[in-house]
Amino acid sequence: MRQFLAFSKKEFHESAATFRLYILLGLFVMFGMMSPLLAKLTPEIIKSLGDTGMMISVHEPTSLDAWAQFFHNVGQMGMLVLIIVFCGTMSNELSKGTLVNLLTKGMKRHTVIASKMFASSVLWTFAYLLCFGAGFAYTAYFWDIGELPHALLAFAAPWLFGELLLATHVFGGTLFGNIYGSLLSCIGAVILMNLLSILPGASKYNPVTLSGGTLPLLSGAGKPSDFIPAVLICAAAVVLLTAGSIVMFNRKKM
Amino acid sequence: MLNELGQYLPFLIPIAVIQLALTVAAVIHILRHDTYRFGNRALWLVVSICVNVIGPILYFSIGKGED
Repeated sequence: MRQFLAFSKKEFHESAATFRLYILLGLFVMFGMMSPLLAKLTPEIIKSLGDTGMMISVHEPTSLDAWAQFFHNVGQMGMLVLIIVFCGTMSNELSKGTLVNLLTKGMKRHTVIASKMFASSVLWTFAYLLCFGAGFAYTAYFWDIGELPHALLAFAAPWLFGELLLATHVFGGTLFGNIYGSLLSCIGAVILMNLLSILPGASKYNPVTLSGGTLPLLSGAGKPSDFIPAVLICAAAVVLLTAGSIVMFNRKKM
Repeated sequence: MLNELGQYLPFLIPIAVIQLALTVAAVIHILRHDTYRFGNRALWLVVSICVNVIGPILYFSIGKGED
């Protein structure tokens, strides 16, 4: 436990020193603020084009439009930022050999993986909460929030998908031992999941649905049972990837 | 149109500040350091300035060399 806490503390210091902390928090606050604003401004921008003689019908934006923008921003730009920012978590240590000293001094290998996952998860959770908080505050300022059915599931889904990306980074980083392997395995996994979502009926089980696809829950068009299988598969994948990383790291020659 | 935009300024300014701060931080870091994991100073300046948001974070996570 002491090793775990010490190593996690080192991770937090490192994320501040490499600007990862500031970039992540700043950008996610920005995504949160941008969403209601974009929803509010889009009709204005289209209206200002209206002098050209085109007939464009624009409906008055609602808080649902703001949440649609929120899921769009977080699900695409947000996940891209997450992939780039966390690509060095495991791979940098392995390619630089900075873990050798710690491991020879008796640091447990599974502690390394566990605290890497823990520290990145805490950062990501905090960033996502800030993003949601900013989005919620601005949406409440512009509109009446009203009722949000199944809000917990709808808003926890992108967070869970982010966790999957973090676990993939740790797995890819441990497997390949360099930053490019980590990046490629994460981007490859996202591309693969997107390709799979072309199959009819697969989206119910596909974790990629969670990154930005949960708007129907809020609008009342979807039911939780449409998303539960994807949530379970995503959670299982996070656990399996983390366990896989530990097994692989135990066998790895430093 | 401008008047209408004016009322959103308190919301637009923080967003612009975050984007600008990120780009400026990356540019300053690039000019102060001359070791990069790959590429050279010109490439990273172009990427950081021209590619909004993604450019600077690419530099900080995969372009930046060791101190």
